[in-house]
Amino acid sequence: MAQVEFIQVGKSYGETGAVHNVNLTVDDSEFLVLLGPSGCGKSTLLKMVAGLEDVTAGEIRIDGRVVNYVKPGDRNVAMVFQNYALYPHMTVQENIGFPLKMTKVPKDQIRERVTRTAAILGLDGLLDRRPEQLSGGQRQRVALARSIIREPAVFLMDEPLSNLDAQLRVQTREELLKLHERLQTTTIYVTHDQIEAMTMGHRIVVMRSGVVQQVGRPQDVYDNPANTFVAAFLGSPRINLQTGKLDGATFGGDGFVVPLNSKLAGAASAVTAGSDVALGVRPEDIEVRVGAVEASGDKIALDGVVSLVEPVGSDLYVRAQTGNVDWMARTEARLPVEPGQAVTLVLNLEHAHLFGEDGRNLAS
Amino acid sequence: MVETHFPELDATVPPPPRRGILSTASLYKLAIYIILIVAAFIAMVPFGYVVSTSLKSTMSLFAYPPDWLPDEPTLDNYRNLIDRYPFWRWLMNSAIVAGSVTLIKLVVDSMAGYAFAKMRFPGKEPLFLLVLISLMVPFAALLIPTFIIVRELGLLNTYWGLILPGLASPIGIFMMRQFIESLPSDLENAARLDGCSEFQIYRRVILPLIKPGLVVLGVFTFMTQWTSYLWPLVAATKPQMATLTVGARSLTSDFTQDWGLNSAAAVLSMLPMILVFIFLQRYFIAGSIAGALKE
Repeated sequence: MAQVEFIQVGKSYGETGAVHNVNLTVDDSEFLVLLGPSGCGKSTLLKMVAGLEDVTAGEIRIDGRVVNYVKPGDRNVAMVFQNYALYPHMTVQENIGFPLKMTKVPKDQIRERVTRTAAILGLDGLLDRRPEQLSGGQRQRVALARSIIREPAVFLMDEPLSNLDAQLRVQTREELLKLHERLQTTTIYVTHDQIEAMTMGHRIVVMRSGVVQQVGRPQDVYDNPANTFVAAFLGSPRINLQTGKLDGATFGGDGFVVPLNSKLAGAASAVTAGSDVALGVRPEDIEVRVGAVEASGDKIALDGVVSLVEPVGSDLYVRAQTGNVDWMARTEARLPVEPGQAVTLVLNLEHAHLFGEDGRNLAS
Repeated sequence: MVETHFPELDATVPPPPRRGILSTASLYKLAIYIILIVAAFIAMVPFGYVVSTSLKSTMSLFAYPPDWLPDEPTLDNYRNLIDRYPFWRWLMNSAIVAGSVTLIKLVVDSMAGYAFAKMRFPGKEPLFLLVLISLMVPFAALLIPTFIIVRELGLLNTYWGLILPGLASPIGIFMMRQFIESLPSDLENAARLDGCSEFQIYRRVILPLIKPGLVVLGVFTFMTQWTSYLWPLVAATKPQMATLTVGARSLTSDFTQDWGLNSAAAVLSMLPMILVFIFLQRYFIAGSIAGALKE
């Protein structure tokens, strides 16, 4: 177990910057998730901790020790790779025991620790098999076993579930959390999957183009996105972001007007009247009603026409047009609406946001 | 009790429809077999004729029409070769030279291939370009400079003089680089995190995974060296340093040509190659198609 600190960490390949000025502390025993789209620099940052990529600016410290120039094998970190990276010519037993063999642990101790680790991950009966004889889930567990056998100070996981099918992914996700609960090893986990990030991380770090956008507890980040990128990246269907202008205590969009509640009015005071802003309302904060509805409290009503209905079983996604813009609403699964139907959209502004011209949340 | 029926769980699978004995697919297969048999026959004829000639007496060599299977096969040509000429010495020289070049090349080329494929160092691209350029220079063009270098080093008529120039062929480096490049980098990264040094990554992770490639390179190198003629002819002028090819050539003088003796020498020269191929055939075929099939 250890603390990992990133102090003004940067990475560039010649002129091209991949990671910019990252300042972050991963606490002892924390499960931290780096989240972002492909190419955002999250894997690069992870590889910098592992020592597989050079740090071109700043410092990375593991338990207070600067590791910028420490060899990967001497950093006391273990990594699980996206494609497992099991040695195909070795048996499961040899794969798991390989890190110990390389650090010259006596053979009988290796055997004992391999047996013990295999038991933790339910690999007992598979020790003599080769990776090609294992299923995806089993390979993943061998990769995990190989990383935990050394009892490293930090676990690094680079999209370890992305090669598994949906059902196995959920199951392995739970197993990973149980394993973390048991070992309490500081873990940095990279993913582009927001569900993984939300369900697994104590904190998540949202990245874009090598820059950290926001760090926080998953629900906090979801509820209070720092900017339009974070707001749009978290949540499915995507948050509704409507551009418009502030006019006193109202937001004027393209063909519609929304009176602001006290929370949004407070945020709006940060910018001058007439500024271009964006209103963000999550689909689950929009109700679709058939017939007229009175506005009350944080809820305001807009007339709309349904343009698309997408049933997903547990919910119904309804796209409806108000003025010249579309709204996406997530409603109860069996709502009797169909395309072309006139409806009332009830926007709950309690969790809505206003973003400035630069994309920043005006409330932050 | 309600009886249910789940066709997807039904164990009885209906048999596939019967096809005619000569369907289009089997006709196609038959045509391919016929073409392959004819090609194999054409390839085998010269070899068969050499074996047959090596078993003929001098008298029956020029019989017309030629006997494919001699009426009275004899091993006289083989006895003559072994009794009158230093055949075993030639064989040993060839084995030492071809074996050494093969072994050293496997080590050096796989290491160089690893460096070119996976390591980052200044000048990597220009150096590799140099390797590629040297691939395009025929050995005949290098013969005289190589001879002068080897002579100046005092290595004429030595094993090292025969071995060293053979090591400089870049095709192996190129081949190994291609093989190693196709291995996922995460394997070395995993090994690096597991505490391996760069040499341990090469030795414990890369080498076992490129075994098919090593076998292909090994067989090619051994074959090239075993049949090499020009360099041993130039670099080994003393009879005791002659390799099989040079020795076999010395069986023919300006005035005499003993076809039976020559054929016996050819058959004995081929035997080690055939054995090597039979022994490593499985790896060889796997390795030579690996580039095409690897994901």
